[in-house]
Amino acid sequence: MFWGKSRNIIVALEVGSTKVAAAVGEIRPDGTLALLGIGESASGQIRKCEIVDFEVAQGCVRDAMDAAEQKTDMQIAEVYLAISGAHVRSSNTRVTTLIGNDGDEITHEHLQELQDMATAQSLPTDHAIVHHLLQYYVLDDGTKTDNPVGLASKQLTAHFHQVYGMATRLQTTIRCVKELSIDVKNYALSSYATAQAVLTRNQKQIGAVVINLGGGISDYIAYQKGAVVHTGVLGVGGDHLTNDIVYGLKIPYAKAEALKKTEGSVILHPGESDERITLPGAYNFEERQIHRASLNTIMQARQAEIFEIILEDLQSAPFWEDFSGTVHITGGASQVKGLVELASQIFPCPVELAHQSPFDGDQNYGRRPDLSTVLGLLQYARQAEMELPSARGFARVGQSLRKALASMKLI
Amino acid sequence: MIEFTQDGPFAEKVDHLFPDRVRIIGLGQTGAAVCDQLVLHGRPGQDLWVFDSDQLTIEGSIVPNRHLLGSKLVRGLGCNGDLDLAREIVVQEENQLAHVVRGCDFLVLVLGFAGATGVALAERLIELTRETGAKIIVVGVQPFGFEGWTRREKAIAAIAALRQEADSVLVLSHDRLAEHPVTVKNIRHGFHLMHGLMAKTAQALGQVVCKRGLIQLSFADVRSLYARYTGSEVLENCWVAHVEGDMRDCAEDLVAELLEGPLLADEKIWKQIDHAIVAVSGTRHLGLSDVQEMVSILKDRLPANVPIATSASLDEDNHDKVRMSVLLAMTAPVLAGEGELPSVSAKKNRPIAETGPMPAKGEIEPPITQPSPLPAKPVRPAKVKPAPVPVEAYAVAEEPEALTLEAEPINQASIKTSTRTKKRFVAKQEEMQFESATRGRFEKTHETMYRGENLDQPTYRRRGLKIKV
Repeated sequence: MFWGKSRNIIVALEVGSTKVAAAVGEIRPDGTLALLGIGESASGQIRKCEIVDFEVAQGCVRDAMDAAEQKTDMQIAEVYLAISGAHVRSSNTRVTTLIGNDGDEITHEHLQELQDMATAQSLPTDHAIVHHLLQYYVLDDGTKTDNPVGLASKQLTAHFHQVYGMATRLQTTIRCVKELSIDVKNYALSSYATAQAVLTRNQKQIGAVVINLGGGISDYIAYQKGAVVHTGVLGVGGDHLTNDIVYGLKIPYAKAEALKKTEGSVILHPGESDERITLPGAYNFEERQIHRASLNTIMQARQAEIFEIILEDLQSAPFWEDFSGTVHITGGASQVKGLVELASQIFPCPVELAHQSPFDGDQNYGRRPDLSTVLGLLQYARQAEMELPSARGFARVGQSLRKALASMKLI
Repeated sequence: MIEFTQDGPFAEKVDHLFPDRVRIIGLGQTGAAVCDQLVLHGRPGQDLWVFDSDQLTIEGSIVPNRHLLGSKLVRGLGCNGDLDLAREIVVQEENQLAHVVRGCDFLVLVLGFAGATGVALAERLIELTRETGAKIIVVGVQPFGFEGWTRREKAIAAIAALRQEADSVLVLSHDRLAEHPVTVKNIRHGFHLMHGLMAKTAQALGQVVCKRGLIQLSFADVRSLYARYTGSEVLENCWVAHVEGDMRDCAEDLVAELLEGPLLADEKIWKQIDHAIVAVSGTRHLGLSDVQEMVSILKDRLPANVPIATSASLDEDNHDKVRMSVLLAMTAPVLAGEGELPSVSAKKNRPIAETGPMPAKGEIEPPITQPSPLPAKPVRPAKVKPAPVPVEAYAVAEEPEALTLEAEPINQASIKTSTRTKKRFVAKQEEMQFESATRGRFEKTHETMYRGENLDQPTYRRRGLKIKV
């Protein structure tokens, strides 16, 4: 909430393994989104999107928020938060309700009832729900529809894709933000947010898989017929490539990271077996030459493994048999050379680097794949804000009170 | 809004502290003997089971959970090495086996690789366990070389098959004891010695994968050393030693006694090992400094390039005793021509007289010091000239930090290996540039496991890819 300002400002925050990014946007009266600026800071003690050292991580979040506030001249009081981590799981579920023996008309109350039933479904111990994403409704005659309101049926079944994660780890991330006196207004699964930035409605309808290759994790989401049919998080990301290089070539982490970005490729070329790369010396590092083939072998092995595991998971899901869409790759770790070529060898479908949907604001941000999650989260926030009924007067006070009570459960 | 379950976040249960359950199953005659050793040593808390098709073995076992299988087919006479018959028995006893794999997180299967019942049971139990999601560690022993090529070939086939399916396979070799004074004097005692070592191995594995303590290792550490290989196969990959002493004993003496273990007597093994797991247990008087001292001394005695992973736990049943087990492993594929799976053609070229089946317990008393028609140590097939290896595969490391023969720190173990040629040493360094099973940047995070593999470990290592530094 931005006191003293009537502009509809939304803030998206991503606490990633490599960086913390806070994107500030404004929803214009016509419903379009304008990006005002993004504050960033390097992550510290955040591994695989999970906080290892709370105080250090909180400092990084504070830095990113400060940077965002300075860039946009705004005071941030609430954010939408991207949630991820290897602990996040998902499953498809369905719930059914009786409408009436005479085939009564389906109303919004029936849909709410189904939503409540899905929410009430039990989760594994210590887990908390992140999303109940509606896939479609099925009428008693087997007809599938996205909006059954007004139709007549004896019973109605709703199919949901539910995403949940370990409550303690979700709590830690949320608390990290809330202790900075910043309210977490809502949250979204990172891959779900990313998809909002890189997929069009048409692509979601045809079928698409978005793979977000982050620093600590690789998360992915699959759409078919406009609905989320599968999500997954693999606790392996670009940091693992760097870590492998550190061990394989016996060089410091910073050198390995730079080498990965400047010279590394995940495709092995036969002609480069004798080629060497010179690592310039520093005050505590003697100049060295390393085999290009060794570097690429290490990177190729890791990246291919990531894709193979993701493919295996996708193939195990029922939707894959009928899938005829494209795999879109994004995320900071997608900037490595030869990625699309490698992915094309592994995935039995078209593969391309994802492009972000256009928005108003600094277009340099739109060309950075490592910002696709936070920008997608901004789109998600825009959509959520548009759907929220605007509260006024006592209703507004009540909403704040409810928020405060809810937050007490988290602390 | 997130809805948190009330019984979740902070309602930590006591079970969470000891979440993993280990079940040790002795298969066949060897497995039963090993489990007997565990009972004799009075290890509490061990979930022991024994299965065999030989009535004498089952009746002679002192393990409470012992089961005779296939009595309708073989009437308690065993399979006599007939693997097909053993598999028939397993099919017949399917129902009895199915409930054995339930209710545990780790299954340690102990067997002799040359035995039919044990191998057939292991194959089926692994299949059943996979459905439950538990992890499987196989601890087995190869037969003595003098037992004949047939048994050896069966063992080789069994190891290859089990390595395809199990999460980890630890292969010990009876031949390491062939010249041990105990074996030379009385071969039954030699078997007994090996069974004791296997029992200690199973016990140490139980501690490593299950017991929470001062220093914790996990199944991933075991798996990273004894998992199946993608390249050339090796047979023997595990050497164990165990020592038990008073808490007041000098740590140096304990380590010295440990390294005098019967399986470590052969100097050749020091060329082969590249990793070590140490499991220390003691009463509450055992402190971290004691453990560190013991491991430090052990590190000085082992070859300099062998990383040591340490597990330390407290066990009040130790009665002022400190127990130390070391599992040495060879993870790198062996060089061409050495230790690879012998081909069938190699066997045909080899003038080995076939021997009969394994002698009965009472028949194996005579000492084997007399000249035998069989070669004294027909452990390996006739050495084939090593295939030419590309020069780049053995390229000498050019980096200053790469170890050279002169640069290697001198310690007792490395003195023993002074017979190595320089060329081989360099090649070995090329392959064994591994360090300990550390996860580097991800050390403080939850392990990312996938199909039993720790994805935090570099992929090229797990896949055995050669990296030129």
